[in-house]
Amino acid sequence: MSAPARAQLEGLGLSSTCVDVLRHLWDYLDDEMATGGAHRLRAHIATCATCREYEGYQACFLDALAKLRAELDAPTSLRERLAAKLKGQGCGCWDKVRKEQA
Amino acid sequence: MTTATYAVPTAFGDLTGASELARDISDPPLARDEARDAEFEREALPWLDDVYRFALSLTRDESDADDVVQETYLRAYRSWHTFIPGTECRRWLFTICRNVFLRSRERQRPTIDLEDGEQDAVAAGSVYAAAREKGYDDLYARLDLAPALREALDALAEPFRSAVILVDVEDMTYETAAQVMGVPIGTVRSRLFRGRRLLQEQLLTVAQDMGFAPARAAGAR
Repeated sequence: MSAPARAQLEGLGLSSTCVDVLRHLWDYLDDEMATGGAHRLRAHIATCATCREYEGYQACFLDALAKLRAELDAPTSLRERLAAKLKGQGCGCWDKVRKEQA
Repeated sequence: MTTATYAVPTAFGDLTGASELARDISDPPLARDEARDAEFEREALPWLDDVYRFALSLTRDESDADDVVQETYLRAYRSWHTFIPGTECRRWLFTICRNVFLRSRERQRPTIDLEDGEQDAVAAGSVYAAAREKGYDDLYARLDLAPALREALDALAEPFRSAVILVDVEDMTYETAAQVMGVPIGTVRSRLFRGRRLLQEQLLTVAQDMGFAPARAAGAR
């Protein structure tokens, strides 16, 4: 982040660490942040009500997206079609495509 | 972090149109091999639902998704000898799936240069501020959010949609998603952050359009 952009954010009353939370929260929630940086963010969030609220908001967003995974499975018609095609290819486990659904 | 080497089958001819996806593979059946079939059943078949979801997110059409999934699994089966045991079969299947989709649409990977994603991450803070202002700061905790979220995700442009699907819905690491998409990790991060910000902006609009009641009156806090 450029120095002027950082200065602008800090001018809004955000501390330097709050700005870091804004920049890196998604990396942090995705567990993609280096250990040292993650520790610093976690320590700040524990003591800053604004950042804690923001973390909760973003964590809820990611949870809602993750829940979509449970909502959609391959349809039976596709499983039947694929089973027939695999059988035609000599696949010995073709019938398991259908059994998987049970 | 280690990067596994894996091969992706590409030697089954070019598909030049969506209709060709549904073609029968004319290759003769493979010779019976019980060990191969047992491995295929154990490693590949459990990911059918995941591959279907990914295909649907790419095609946004159930019939096209069926064709892409079928082609993906047939290629995977015939190329099973190129799968390296011990590597992630789901990633291998997703990579085949994406290649099948891209070939079917004759679509080149979009070249979108983004910065490192921080601009979008910071901008998401502004979306949050707007949500708070309107009384929607608990929006994502609402039980009835899923349909709006699906709609917003469907409307999200590529390549942002793929990044969000792979990382947020399919729970892949940035590294694995980068391998599936064939781009550097930094690009996945940029696309992911842009996708998330766009989704959040869209959801805020949808919430208002659909008449979601704000959790509290604006300005009450």
